[in-house]
Amino acid sequence: MSTKTATFDGLAQFDRTTSIWGPITLGLGFLVSLAAALFAAFGTGLGITGQEVWTAFGIVFATFGIIAVVEPISYYPILGRSAMYQAFMIGNIANKLLPSALIAQTDLGEKPGTRRAELIAGAAIIGAAFVHIITLIILVGFLGTWLLGLLPAGLIAVARLYILSAVFGAVTVQAVVSMKNARTTIIAAVVSAIVVYGVVRLAPVLTNYATAVSVVAVIIVAWFARKRTVASEAIDAPADAPSSIGH
Amino acid sequence: MHSFAVDPGSTDISPVSFHPVLWICAAAVFAVIVLQSVIYLRAIRKAASSVDLTDGQVMGSVRRGGIAAIGPSLAVALVAVSLLPLFSTPAVLTRIGLVGSAAFDVAAAGLAAQSQGAQLGGPTYTQKVFAIGFAAMTLGGLVWMLTALILTPILAKGDKTLRKVNPAVMTVVPTAAILAAFMTLAFTETTKSGVHVLTLLVSAGVMGLCIAGAKYFKKPWLREWGLGIAIFVALAAAFLVTAK
Repeated sequence: MSTKTATFDGLAQFDRTTSIWGPITLGLGFLVSLAAALFAAFGTGLGITGQEVWTAFGIVFATFGIIAVVEPISYYPILGRSAMYQAFMIGNIANKLLPSALIAQTDLGEKPGTRRAELIAGAAIIGAAFVHIITLIILVGFLGTWLLGLLPAGLIAVARLYILSAVFGAVTVQAVVSMKNARTTIIAAVVSAIVVYGVVRLAPVLTNYATAVSVVAVIIVAWFARKRTVASEAIDAPADAPSSIGH
Repeated sequence: MHSFAVDPGSTDISPVSFHPVLWICAAAVFAVIVLQSVIYLRAIRKAASSVDLTDGQVMGSVRRGGIAAIGPSLAVALVAVSLLPLFSTPAVLTRIGLVGSAAFDVAAAGLAAQSQGAQLGGPTYTQKVFAIGFAAMTLGGLVWMLTALILTPILAKGDKTLRKVNPAVMTVVPTAAILAAFMTLAFTETTKSGVHVLTLLVSAGVMGLCIAGAKYFKKPWLREWGLGIAIFVALAAAFLVTAK
C-alpha cells in the first residue's frame, strides 16, 4: 500500500512540475524568439512595414502551416507529454532526440510508452541538449565565425549565392527517400513542375505563392489518388514519425 | 567590430545580422533550454525511485543520451557552418542549430526574400531582405512551438477526436506537403541560372550517394552526414565553375 502511494506521489509530483514548467519554459523560448523576430523587423530602423512582414510570414505559413499542426500530433505518442515541451524547443527531434531517447531506453531494457521509459527519455534528451549546445557554441559560434573571417570574400559570395540550391537538392532527395511513397513523389514532381515552369510563367502574380499553391494542389491530388484499401493504408503509414522538417 | 550602420538597401547585412540584440536573444534561447533541463532533471531524479530507476541509472541515461547525440550534433554543426555566410552567427545558432532546421529555415527565408522580389545571397540580398527573412523564419518556427503548446495538453487528456483523425490524413497530408514544398523550391532554383542547376544536381546526387552508401555499406553515419557533405560538395562545384 505504502509503495503504491509512493509511486503515485512521485509521478504525480513529476507530472505537476513538468505540466507547469514545461509550458512556461517553452513559452519563454517562444517569447524570446518572437522578440528577436520583431526586433529584426521593426527595431533596427530599416523601415520595414507590418504589411511586409505579414506578407512574408503569410507565404511561409501557407506553405508549412499544415506540417506544424501534424508534427506535434505524430510525435506525441513517441515522446510523451513531458518530453514534448523539451523536444519542440530544442529541435532536431527526428535526427537527434529520438535516437538518443531510444538508445537510453534500450540500455535499461525499456520500451517507449511506459512511465519509466518517459523518465529515461527525458534524461536522455537533457544529455543530448547539453552536448548539442556545447557543440554549437564551440564549433559554430566560435570556430565557424572565426573561419568565416578567414575565408576570401569571393568564396563567401559563392556560398551565399548558391546555398539555396545546395540545400534544396539534398533535402528533396532526403524527403523522397524517407517518405518511401512513389505515388505521392510522382504527383509532387509533376504538379511542382507544372507550377514552376507553367503557372508562374503564365501568371507572374502567383510567383510568391507558387510553393503554397503546389502544396495545396499536391495534397488534394495525393488525397484523391491514395490507395484506398484499409490494408494498404495501414502499410503506407510509416512506423516511425514523419521525418521532421521544422524541427 | 561592426559599425552599426543601418541601411535597408545595403548588401552588407552584418550591421543587422550581428546586431547585439540578436546575440542577446540567441544567448537567451540557450539559457531557457538550460533552465528547462535543470528543472526537468530535478523532477526526473525525484520521481525516479517510483518507477524503479536508481539515481545512477538516471544520470547514466543523461550520459548515454549525450553520447548518442555527438554524431548528429556534429552533423548539424557542419550544416550550420555552411549557412553562416548567409544568415550570420546569431540567427544560425538559434534557428538552424536549435529550434528550427536547415531545410525549413532556408525555405522560409527564401520565400520571404521572394516576396520582396529579391533572392537570398545575391545582389538583391540587402539588410532589409535579411531582416524580413529572419522574421519570417522565426515567426514560422513559432507556429510549431504554438501548436505543441496547444496540442500537448489536449493530447494528454487522451482526446479521441485528435487521435482518431483518419490515419490516411496523417500520412498523406504531411508527405504531400513536404514533397510539394521542396520540389517546388528545388525547381524554382533551376530557373535562376545554369550554375544553380549544377549546384542543385550535385547536391541531390551527393545526397543520393550518401543514402545509398549508408544502406549498402551499412554505414548509418553517412546518412546523418549526408546533408552537410552534399552542401559542401555542391558549393565546391559552384565555386570551381564560377572561378575562372
